[in-house]
Amino acid sequence: MIVDYLIDIIPFAADWPGLVFVSVVIFCAVPVFLFIAVYALVAIYGELKVSSFMQDKIGPMGQGVGLHAGKWGLLQPIADALKLILKEDIIPTTADRKLFILAPFIVFIGAFISMAALPFSQTLIVADMNIGIFYILAVSSLGVIGIILAGWSSNNKWSLYGAMRSAAQIVSYEIPAGLSIIGVVMITGTLSMQGIIEHQSGFVWGILPNWIIFQNPFTFLSFFLFFISGVAECNRTPFDIPEAESELVAGAFTEYSGMRYAFFFLSEYANMFVVSGVAAAAFLGGWRSPIPGVLDTPGWGIMWFIGKSMFLIFMMMWFRWTWPRLRVDQLMSVCWKGFIPIAFFNIFGIGIWKLLIG
Amino acid sequence: MRAYLRTIWESVSTLVTGMTITWRHMVNIRKGNVTLQYPEERWPRPERDIGFDQDDYNVIRSRLHVDMDDCIGCLKCERACPVDCIKIETEKVEKGEDIPDVGHTGVTSNGTKKALLLTRFDIDMTECCYCNLCTYPCPEECIYMTGGPNSEKHPIDYEFSQFDRNDMVYRFAKEASEEQVEKATGVKNGEKKNG
Repeated sequence: MIVDYLIDIIPFAADWPGLVFVSVVIFCAVPVFLFIAVYALVAIYGELKVSSFMQDKIGPMGQGVGLHAGKWGLLQPIADALKLILKEDIIPTTADRKLFILAPFIVFIGAFISMAALPFSQTLIVADMNIGIFYILAVSSLGVIGIILAGWSSNNKWSLYGAMRSAAQIVSYEIPAGLSIIGVVMITGTLSMQGIIEHQSGFVWGILPNWIIFQNPFTFLSFFLFFISGVAECNRTPFDIPEAESELVAGAFTEYSGMRYAFFFLSEYANMFVVSGVAAAAFLGGWRSPIPGVLDTPGWGIMWFIGKSMFLIFMMMWFRWTWPRLRVDQLMSVCWKGFIPIAFFNIFGIGIWKLLIG
Repeated sequence: MRAYLRTIWESVSTLVTGMTITWRHMVNIRKGNVTLQYPEERWPRPERDIGFDQDDYNVIRSRLHVDMDDCIGCLKCERACPVDCIKIETEKVEKGEDIPDVGHTGVTSNGTKKALLLTRFDIDMTECCYCNLCTYPCPEECIYMTGGPNSEKHPIDYEFSQFDRNDMVYRFAKEASEEQVEKATGVKNGEKKNG
């Protein structure tokens, strides 16, 4: 959308593709990066507090004479970020230097370019592609290449174990996630993110908003399948076996420190936002208000979209601090024996529902 | 098929049970919070009952303290100390001379005339073994562990840490300038009375 505006505004864009590229970097890439950075600080603070509250602690707090971490520990994520940036950047002697340096950026790029198709509001979307959701599913799996590179280049057994587990897990869980999205695409008849949200206007069942999650029981199930598969793709607990601290030190990130580790951290949180954003857009009406027709302007749309995404991110934190980690074989059996059959059953059910009821 | 569905139902229901527990803890954080923000908040000191009344007898040996106004410089505590952590140096005061400039009245609260000026009274609390032996020989009862009968003036304080180890040496002697010492003892700086 923004890219289209830019091409319209610049009259001689056809003659100067370089100019279009520079303006896209300035008006799209930089704001998205800043958004990820700010959102990551908020999410890290939220995670610290949520985890503490769930364990009967109070988390980072600052009181007294010295400025420990600001009021209610609000400066804690900034202190963490500063610490990670200032730390020594260690590259092991036996590591494959080029790949080791490259890996964190590939992981981050996978999460970063997925944000291009996320619809923040009616008008605010970097590029409203006609294959938007397909694009997100495709590029968000780029991250696994980075994780494998990190694990391989570290020349460390824990890293390699973590990378292998991560690859197996992400490849497996992409199947139920994709199959759940197929149901959405069958209902809306479009792959464009804005098209999917456009479809979810008005009411369903009398009082509920016409979000896809409420449209029939199969889509309700699909939402949970997609969201939990998404959690697994983010390598979050309870599916965090690639970086299981108690088993593998830190999995693929064992040898990383300082700025490079910060990039892995940032891309984990960015991935969480992408998964939550896609779940919010495809199943929870995206930028649509929960009460159709009330506060449904583009400005409020940003708030609804980010609010829904943040709620789903809170759900991820809730999962993380409640559920124990799955074993490797359990992880695979949940995916292949549980999620995938149910996802196929859902596609069948949604097809029948669409044929008979509408 | 039944077993398959029952497995799914069991896992989902137990997961939801776990989530309700963490949710309950999260919303009741104000009641259930166990964190104590230490320098600002402290646990109350537990009551101790070992047959003594704390007001009469100090059952907790926490930190040595000296009331310098009552000290006559008899060195009995220094000799009693098994680890030699008390270091006292005195100067003789001329007969009949009071030393009010340094804050001493010349008379202890028991009415004993003070004959010595204490130029040094150091207790190294890093060496102190808390045996309490120095407090018994004191004729003026001016060296004691804080708390107990003196708890009004010197409450029990068991949290004493310093950034520098030298700060753990407590210097009780009152600061006196060389002129004050000279005036009180009649000895010029550097000279020492022979014998």
